[in-house]
Amino acid sequence: MNLLEIKDLKVHYPIKGGFFNTVKDHVKAVDGVSISIPEGTTYGLVGESGSGKTTTGKAVMGLNHVTSGEIFFDGQKLNSKGKKVDVRDDIQMIFQDPYSSLNPRKRVFDIVAEPIRNYHKKTRGELVPEVLGLLQRVGLPPGSLYKYPHEFSGGQRQRIGVARAIALNPKLIIADEPVSALDVSVQAQVLNFMQDIQQDMNLTMMFIAHDLGVVRHMCRHIGIMYQGRLVEEGRTEEIFKNPQHIYTKRLIAAIPDTDVDEIENNLAFRQMVKEEYDRNFADHLDEEGRAFPLQSITETHRVALPVKG
Amino acid sequence: MTEKLLEVNNLTTSFKIGSEYFPAVDDVSLSIQPNEVLALVGESGSGKSATAFSLMGLHRKARIEGEVNFQGQNLLKLNEGKMNKIRGGDLAMIFQDPMTALNPLMKIKQQIIETLKIHNTKAKNEREAYAVELLDRVGIPRPDRVAEAYPHELSGGMRQRVVIAIAIANRPKLLIADEPTTALDVTIQAQILDLIRELQDDLNSGVLLITHDLGVVAEMADRVAVMYAGQIVEVAPVRELFKNPQHPYTRSLLNSLPTESMLGSKLHVIQGVVPALNKMDRTGCRFAPRIPWVPASEHEKNPKLREIADDHYVRCTCYKNFSLGSETPQNIDAEEYQIETGARGGSVR
Amino acid sequence: MLKFTIRRLLITFPQLVILSVLVFIMGSMMPGDALSGLIDPSIPAEAIQARREQLGLDNPWYIQYRDWIFAMFQGDFGTSIFHQRPVMDVIGDRLMNTVWLSLFSTVLIYLLGLPLGLVSGRYNDSLLDNAITGYTYLGFATPQFIFGLIILWIFGYNLGWFPTGGSVAPGLEPGSIDYILSKINHLVLPSFAIALIGLVGTVQYLRSGIIETKQKDFIILARAKGVKESAVYNKHVFRNSILPIAAFFGYEIVALLGGSIFIEMIYSYPGMGRLFLDSISTRDFSVANVLILFYGFLAIVGALVSDIILSIVDPRIRIK
Repeated sequence: MNLLEIKDLKVHYPIKGGFFNTVKDHVKAVDGVSISIPEGTTYGLVGESGSGKTTTGKAVMGLNHVTSGEIFFDGQKLNSKGKKVDVRDDIQMIFQDPYSSLNPRKRVFDIVAEPIRNYHKKTRGELVPEVLGLLQRVGLPPGSLYKYPHEFSGGQRQRIGVARAIALNPKLIIADEPVSALDVSVQAQVLNFMQDIQQDMNLTMMFIAHDLGVVRHMCRHIGIMYQGRLVEEGRTEEIFKNPQHIYTKRLIAAIPDTDVDEIENNLAFRQMVKEEYDRNFADHLDEEGRAFPLQSITETHRVALPVKG
Repeated sequence: MTEKLLEVNNLTTSFKIGSEYFPAVDDVSLSIQPNEVLALVGESGSGKSATAFSLMGLHRKARIEGEVNFQGQNLLKLNEGKMNKIRGGDLAMIFQDPMTALNPLMKIKQQIIETLKIHNTKAKNEREAYAVELLDRVGIPRPDRVAEAYPHELSGGMRQRVVIAIAIANRPKLLIADEPTTALDVTIQAQILDLIRELQDDLNSGVLLITHDLGVVAEMADRVAVMYAGQIVEVAPVRELFKNPQHPYTRSLLNSLPTESMLGSKLHVIQGVVPALNKMDRTGCRFAPRIPWVPASEHEKNPKLREIADDHYVRCTCYKNFSLGSETPQNIDAEEYQIETGARGGSVR
Repeated sequence: MLKFTIRRLLITFPQLVILSVLVFIMGSMMPGDALSGLIDPSIPAEAIQARREQLGLDNPWYIQYRDWIFAMFQGDFGTSIFHQRPVMDVIGDRLMNTVWLSLFSTVLIYLLGLPLGLVSGRYNDSLLDNAITGYTYLGFATPQFIFGLIILWIFGYNLGWFPTGGSVAPGLEPGSIDYILSKINHLVLPSFAIALIGLVGTVQYLRSGIIETKQKDFIILARAKGVKESAVYNKHVFRNSILPIAAFFGYEIVALLGGSIFIEMIYSYPGMGRLFLDSISTRDFSVANVLILFYGFLAIVGALVSDIILSIVDPRIRIK
């Protein structure tokens, strides 16, 4: 059962220009992306800056307009005109920068209680134990209740962000680069703890990141985005062991590895892939410079390979 | 023993918080030889960027002690005028964020020509052509056009190439690269690292590479110095450091990476947090609070860097019987809260 | 650049038309017309009516408006009822006085304000900076006329260094050296009175601009290139910090050209501010209308000038 299904999502922004400031063209931030995430699993959406991964996540959250396509959550269509399906308490987002995503003038209690207050009429007396329970869940001591965000380190702030995100018992969490602003050791804390929370609450997660190592660690399925389109999608081990699209190959080859024995090999391999990329990449795009539609090569593995013939 | 290009002795850089000075860089000694890449690794607040800024003399309001010997002179004793002849000349720097490192109101060529002019590298009428040549050298397509562009017209990767072009304009002997690829996409990172490697080879210069990315270290460095809380805790040749890490911090750090071997298991977590600059214990092993299961007797009272194998230095004795310890719950105790004073080493200028 | 300016002018044009219509309608709603003040009670009503028709005063407003506009394009701005002179003559003298006063004040504002702001921002939180910001707070809090009065009292009455009123000493031949010197002499006190208050905004903007700019990465890069500290400020910090001031330049000029009623009153300086006040209090609407239109025109032009200046200084907002 897929909790989230995105079908042929397009998000286009007009580019204005010329003498009368008219619409000249469109930036195709997301251009025909389809993703299904089974309940209780984590889907990694990977891409470089400008690939459209964050825009895709925001579209699911309803944070930006959708040009065309459909988004189904738990079988309900989210972006239908007219009647709005209210699932906002079922979908929550965790943001990249724990330093700027928390209101510095609010205490932890108010930050975490805010989403609850938005949906339920509750007294302070009812809220305090609820917030305390959430803090415990994310590993923050009760004493944090009345502190301000600046009194916490980056990793702790990200925990506050997670506590806020899970306050309404959501089913789906969209995590947009949740660890890229954190140090390695703090990143490890947050990743471990996000895995715990996910298992405990049977959460479904869309994990948006540019760091392939992190995504590999966290996700069962991965989609690779390039300029608004998916170029490859599959189970994590398929993507890493058997990448098919030249862009995926290049992305994977570009990650510096800590295995000092393999450095020479890695560098040589990277060079080889880059040369192949420079030679062949144009063949992997259609006349408009877009990646081809995905084709299945195994049951789970789909690649945007050039159409044969 | 080849001659050292840079020798830093007992560098201590302190910042004022309230009425007191606190050392963000504490008694750091290191050296770089020509054509050598020394990586300085650490997390935020470790003092690695503060070290780089101290070498360049870029701290405005810090108290800096010790010696920075570069080409037979102690840079810390030079006046501003003499320092300006060295900065951007024989000693150049590449910065972390290419999006903000270039003056938005100046054309690219003006920004390159400025450094050529200061260091009198080319005759006046050759400078413009040389600027274009430099842009070409750092792999910028259509360099003549980019020379006329403003920074906002270039992508992040291109801007970083411009920053590098400025740094190599006067053929520096030592290049300090402060997180040169942190802000870049991974494919661009690979290209920029290639470029730095290539230029270093070309110029036969030494490189001080400051980074938090251990993958970049493994690929780029000849030797590695690991910093924690303002001190160097371990120095070793790159192979030795990754194959045979000794200091508990180095080992913990390597185990917290989500590498292939860690798939399906929990990542190692270092307990607690890096102490704030003004809340730090000045005596004893600074890493001790984060490995509480190691008894006090294992630590030195006044830990020093000691050579434990050829060219391999480790601080404190606590590494000897250290094991990473079992997975401990990561609940955070009340005393670990820290008030951040805004004086985390990396952000203080 | 040219395209940008032309487009801006095209956008500006309808704004001016709307403004002129509004001004005209408001003017025609006022009681009385250009003839009311000229009426001699001995002239028969029929003659007045005939004169009205001849002047087109009975036409519908849009016809009158068209005539008014056409006349203005031909340089005929009407006649001042109060002064019994062409409006253009009445405004002309005053305008020149105000232009000179504005010019002097502007030069003083930037001549004094920019160095003060630069010093204040570069050495922020030093004693000098505290003194300068202290002054700017004083400047923000003190009404202009108090400042004007104090300066007048000290330098005009007590020390007697400068004249206390008028725009030129009487009896001098226009165009002669003495005449010009006398003009300048009369400008000193009022322009200082305007500038000393007017510069506080410039100082504050520049100070905060410099404090923000000086910790930017590209400033550190400039130092790392070996740029001398003085050049770091004069070349890199300064240019990046004056953007907001450049953006306000057009508005600032416009505000000054509008004339300062208080300063003109205190120094009995015949400028635009007083003319506007007088024309309203004497119900001299033919003058007031033109002045309002002139102010509106200035405001629009000021915005345009600001935009053009900003697009010259900042390549990021240059229109391709």
